[in-house]
Amino acid sequence: MSDTPLAKARARPVYRNIGFGDLAHYRLPIPGIASIVHRVTGLAMFVCLLFLLAMLQMSLKSEAGFEAFRSVVWGNPIAKLVLIGLLFALIYHLVAGIRHMIQDANIWLDLASARSSAFAVFGISFALTALVAWRLV
Amino acid sequence: MASPSSKFVSEWWLQRISAVIVAAYVFLVLALLMIYGTPNALQWQGLFANVGFKLATILTIIATAYHGLVGALHVWPDYVKNRAVLSVLNAYTWVAAVAVVLWAVYILFGLK
Repeated sequence: MSDTPLAKARARPVYRNIGFGDLAHYRLPIPGIASIVHRVTGLAMFVCLLFLLAMLQMSLKSEAGFEAFRSVVWGNPIAKLVLIGLLFALIYHLVAGIRHMIQDANIWLDLASARSSAFAVFGISFALTALVAWRLV
Repeated sequence: MASPSSKFVSEWWLQRISAVIVAAYVFLVLALLMIYGTPNALQWQGLFANVGFKLATILTIIATAYHGLVGALHVWPDYVKNRAVLSVLNAYTWVAAVAVVLWAVYILFGLK
């Protein structure tokens, strides 16, 4: 039965549109990952803007408000993690944006430069985030 | 005057100009943080009481709201194909962008 022409035809790979189940088999090249992360960090910050303004208002309203922010928000490990994540989003989006504008000037457009500059964007933004987070007590 | 192509060209430029404004402000704030360390209530509120810093902040927030508005309106349709969901997201994007600017004006110039 398995040697019939029909079974052989069935064994051949079938190419369709990519579905969620296939995602694990496709590896996005690093410049593609950099581009997606640029979009995700941008959207994440945009969605959080109103919450950030609420915190700014709290911190500027009075000295008690500032201390309340420090104890309730900054003192909460999960909230702190989210804020450090947003700090990374900001720094990443900025560094990737600088790379974007360099590419607007037709620089670093060949494959090798596109790859190494995408790697550099990740490296620089991780390092800068660590540096700034270290300064935030 | 407002042909579709000229709209996209000015949008392209405004997206970059707004990005440079936000970047300058972020570099300023991060530099202050690196030099002086985490501020206490007095230092933080003193910084935001400075008129020059208030103006830089509101300019940055207007640039941020515009940059986020244009960015989000471009990104949503690449992933959301359902028309109804897309219009809800677009409406939310417009409301959030306008609300951020109005609220920031209130925080910086109307509070207390």
